[in-house]
Parts: sequence; structure tokens; C-alpha cells
Amino acid sequence: MQKKLLLSLFAFTSLLADSEVEMLKQQLLQQQKITQKLLTRIEALEVKQKKVVHTVQQQAAIKNVNTSASFSQNAYLPDMAFILNMSALDRNVKNSNYTTYDIPGFINNIGATGELPFNKNDGFNFNYAEVALRSTVDPYFDAFAIFHLSPAAFAIEEAFVKTRAIPYGIQIKVGTFKSDFGRINSKHQHVWQFDTQPIIYKSLFGPDGISDAGIQAQWVAPTDTYIMAGVEAFAGTNSRSFGADTQNRHLYVGYLKSSVDIRDDLSVLGGVSIAHGDNYDNNVTNPTNIYGLDLTLRNQLGSYSSLVWQSEFLQRDKKLSTRTDKQSGLYSELIYQYNNNWYAGVRYDTILKNDTDLSAYSGVDTSNLDRYTAKIDYHPFPMSRLRLQYSYDRTKVIEGERKDINEISLSLNIAAGAHGAHNY
Amino acid sequence: MKKLLLLTILLQGFLFASLRVDTTYSTMGLITQKIGGDLVNVTVLGSSKYDPHFIVPKPSLIAKLRRADLLIMNGGGLELGWLPPLLRAANNAKIQNGAKGLLDMSHYISMIDVPSSVSRAFGDVHAQGNPHFSTDPNQVLVMAEAIKKKLIQLDPENEKIYQENFNVFQKKWQRYLQNFDTKMQMCQGKKVVQYHELYNYFLKRYDIQSIGNIEPLPGISPSSKHTLALIMSMRQNHVKTILQDVYHEQKTAAFIASKTGAKVQIIPHDIRAVKGSDTLENFYNIIGKRICN
Repeated sequence: MQKKLLLSLFAFTSLLADSEVEMLKQQLLQQQKITQKLLTRIEALEVKQKKVVHTVQQQAAIKNVNTSASFSQNAYLPDMAFILNMSALDRNVKNSNYTTYDIPGFINNIGATGELPFNKNDGFNFNYAEVALRSTVDPYFDAFAIFHLSPAAFAIEEAFVKTRAIPYGIQIKVGTFKSDFGRINSKHQHVWQFDTQPIIYKSLFGPDGISDAGIQAQWVAPTDTYIMAGVEAFAGTNSRSFGADTQNRHLYVGYLKSSVDIRDDLSVLGGVSIAHGDNYDNNVTNPTNIYGLDLTLRNQLGSYSSLVWQSEFLQRDKKLSTRTDKQSGLYSELIYQYNNNWYAGVRYDTILKNDTDLSAYSGVDTSNLDRYTAKIDYHPFPMSRLRLQYSYDRTKVIEGERKDINEISLSLNIAAGAHGAHNY
Repeated sequence: MKKLLLLTILLQGFLFASLRVDTTYSTMGLITQKIGGDLVNVTVLGSSKYDPHFIVPKPSLIAKLRRADLLIMNGGGLELGWLPPLLRAANNAKIQNGAKGLLDMSHYISMIDVPSSVSRAFGDVHAQGNPHFSTDPNQVLVMAEAIKKKLIQLDPENEKIYQENFNVFQKKWQRYLQNFDTKMQMCQGKKVVQYHELYNYFLKRYDIQSIGNIEPLPGISPSSKHTLALIMSMRQNHVKTILQDVYHEQKTAAFIASKTGAKVQIIPHDIRAVKGSDTLENFYNIIGKRICN
């Protein structure tokens, strides 16, 4: 009896359990159906959404298209900068006299050479506006041009093409350009530490230095120490030291430069240069050799602070029909950069040897030709510069008399546009 | 005998044939060393003592560029003030813009702070965005990957080694980052000011708010008017940390600290910029610790 009861009880529970499982199964199935439905609905919504986003994007893209740009080449425009230089100046010489000065043995009446002195007016001067362009032409060439516009003239200061793909550390430059002779020759006026050109450069080469049409080849040695050698051949149009004979003139320049880091923050750069050309005197062609030595020491005191001492010595041996002139001079400058905004500097210029025909200056003291210059620069930003400069110039003869010139100037220089790199 | 000697010399040359890699800054140099191992000879051009925008263009750097097989630069305009003339003077066709041997890292980074319009009226703004991405440890693997690809492209024979070095480095760095991220969690929502926007990638990543900069505009020295405004805003926002780099003047930060009770933290911008930041791990640890303090 007991057994029977137990059995029926078991059967009952199992039956009941079966029905419960069945119910659960049913519920699950229903749930699955609902999920399925939801999923399909979500998918449909997603597809719809995508379509909407896509069309919106497409519309936006269409909206952003510059319909006039089908042939636009703006992205290939050269890097461009424009440079302005102006000054207010006070000088103890009349303008009309200043444009006729001599530097005995080197320059005889500056006005007669066709050259206008920089900052020629006592008062306001607008010296120049320059436009500089730089562009990579193609995988093989870079091109560079700087147009110098002064109130009276337009000049191509430099325009050249440089190779960028020659192996073995060689580079060729052709066009009209500033020679890498010495240290300051290749630098443009607006990056000079003083507004005035060193006396020896002005005396031997004129305001543009050695700047001429020609070809240059430079080689950097594959060594740990920086060694660079260069040779240049020019048309030789510089008449102050070289030929006036238009047929056979030529000018060759060669130099060797090297630099070492004495410490991480103390480096030295030195160079020897030679320029060899012909001068034309009394219808006879004779050689002129100019030798240059330059030395720069730079001590970095911080990211924005440094002390730079730069000096150059130049000597000219000019063979003439009756004698050989030997003349030399140097400049030495010390520049202290206090921070990103302030610079101060002093420079000493002197003519050391003036072994030439000075008979035109009888009765005039032509010894001790030198100049002292001091300046303070304020850069509100790296692209602009205000400069207060004073110079005491003892190199000039005006109207047959030695005239010491005191000059004070306040100049503004700006370089807008493409960022020029900082100088060593 | 002679033949043997010649062979050893030749073999030696072959065995020690390594890629000469120049990097403009130290962090990229160290990552390159990790990926390249013995196969690369790394030279760093810019000393981490100095402002990366104002590396002195010493002629000795021209000699270094002259022999490089690969130049890895930061890009984003950071080297604009010093590298282009050196590169032009180095006469090295291999690393000119457009050549295989030039790697501009910024091309691989998703740059932040990209200005919608650019004028120098706003200071020294970088048109391509903030170039100081290497102060964020999360950019390290992005840089490592780009370097690996470039090394393989230049030296396909050693692809396996570069790939292996990268894999090892990647694993190690991912572990480091996990740990780093947990540590940085406690600094979420912190407020700081910076001298220059050197740490924006880092701050953005770890949800730290930069309230302002000591310089009024990028590349412009602090002015009293701007400094006073910054002090006011720091007081209002309860900013207690000033992020100062090693190369700018520190007087302004000290003055602001004295007026606000904030603490000046010297943060390295590159490997070895401060003492103890000589490895990648230590460099980012110091940045994290000093920002978080």
C-alpha cells in the first residue's frame, strides 16, 4: 500500500514537472520571438540611420567643395616672406656731403661709384622692402629668390637654383647669389648684427659684398667634425677690387670651413677664404687676390641667452701696372643676447694696412682709420626688431678733410610671412 | 693569409653595418634605440637642456646630418626655427624632404589643438596643431610603430629583428601603461596651469584641466596684466599646481605661486631634461608624479 502511494506520488510530481517545463519552454520561445523581432527592427533602423548619415555627409562634402578650385594650385605656392627696413637717424654731417665721402685708399667719392650710402639721410630713411621666395622645384632642385626694392631701384639680390639629390655630400648652386666667402658675406643685411656693413667689406667689395652671377660647388666631408669646402666661379662684375674690362673678367672663390664643439654649449667656427680675379688698370689686366680669415665663438648661456664673438680679417693684394697695393682690415664684434627680447653688442672696425697711392690726400691724416659701434636690439617677437645704434666713425674724408662722424640711429626691421630660421 | 685578412675586414664591415639614425629630440632617440637595437647608431641633435623650438643651429649638427641614413623629426613646426638651414647645408640627399630617409613623426599622430585659422597676431601658433605629443606616454607605441615601419623599409633584411624588438617593447610598454593609467586615475579632474602648452596631450588623456598659461600667447614673454588675470583665475578655480619647464625663466611662476599658494612643479619636456629622467619609464613617471603630486 505504502509502495503504491509512493509510486503514484512520484508519477504525479513528475507529470506536474513535465507540464512546468513545457510552460517554461513556451515562454522562452515567445521571448526569443520578441528578441528576434526587436533585432530586425534595430537592424532596419541602423540601415536607415546609416543612409541618413551618409547623405548628410555627402551633402556636407558637396557644401565644402570650392567650386572654383578645380585647377587651384595654392598648395604649391612658394614660402614667402617680406622684409621692411626703415630708420630715424641723426648724423653730424650734411646729407649732400655724406653722399660724397671717401675712405682713403679704397673709396673715392661714394656718390661717383653709383652707390647710395645706406641710411643716407639725416632724418627719416626708408631703406628697402624685400620679397623673399623659396620653393622646392621638384625632387632635384630647390629655388630661392630675393627681390630688393629700394625707393630708387628694383634689384634681384639673389636668385638661384640648388641641387637636392646629388650624393657624396655635394651640392651645386647656379644663378646670381652671394658668395660664401668669409663669414658675413653671404648674410643678408636684415640678419646682420649691426645696420652698417663692416668697413673692410664695404671697402673691398661694396655694399653687396661678393654677389654675382655664377656657379658654386660645395662638399661636406663625411667626418664627425664639420668640414666644408667650396669653390665658386663668377662673372666678376665687382669693379671695386676686380675687373672693369667687360670681355675677360672673371672671379674665382674658394674656402674651407670647420667647426668643433669645445663643450656642449661652447662651439667655435673658423674659415679661410680666397678670392682671385683680375683688375684692369691702365688697359692692363693684373691679378687681385683677397684672403680672408674668420673666427666665431659661441657660448650658449641658456635657450635664449648667448655670448657670440665674431671676427674677420681680410687682406687684398692688388697688382697694378706700376706697383702692388697691399691693404688689410678687420672687424671684431661681441654680441650678448640677454633673453628672447634683448640683445646688446659692440663692434670695432679698423684698417690695418693701407699700402697704396695716397698722394691725393696730401696734408690729410689718413692713419688710424677705424670705427666704434654699439647697439641695443629689442625684439617684441622674433619677426620684428627695433635697434638703437651708435657709431663713431673715423674712416671718412669729406671735402678734402678728415671728418669724424657721430651717428645715432633707431631702426625698425620686420620679416613677415615664412619663418626664417635663427642664425648661428 | 692575406685573403683571410681581407675577408675579415670585409665581414667586419658587413657585421657592423648599422643604420645611422639622427633624431631631433631625445625621446624619439631612445625609442629608436629600443626598436633598432644593435642595428642602429642613434644620434640626438637637440639637447634637452634647451627649448625644443630654439635648438642652437651649431655647424657640428651639419656634420651629424651629413652621414645620416635616416632623420626622425618631431614635425608639427617644432623644428622650423633651426633644422631647415642645417638640412640644406648637410648636402645629404638621403634625408631631404620627400626622400625615404626622412620620418616626420607628426604625420602619425592625431594632432590636437589644431587651429582653425592661423595668424602670428596670436603668437607663435603651430598651424598643424600642438607638436608636444611626446610628453604623453600613450604616444610612445604610436611613435615606436612608425619607427619600426621606417627601419624595415630602409633595412628590409633585418625585418625580423625589428619586428621582434618591437613586440618585446610593445608588451613591456602596454604593461607599463596599465600600471600608469591606474596610478593616474586618482588625479582625474585636477586643475593646473602651464608655462607653455607642453603637456596638453597628457592632460587631455588623464582628464586634468589646464586653466591657463603663464605666457600670454605662445612664444611671448609673460606680461604683468596677463599674470594678474591668471592669478585671479587660479584663485577662483583653486588651482594648486603650476607646470614649469626647465628652460623658461622661473621667476613668474614663483611669483604666481607666492600669490596663490600653488606649488611650482618642474616637469621634463624630454628625456634627461631633469635629473633622473634618463629612461622612458622614469621620464613619464616623473611627469605623472609631478603633475599629480
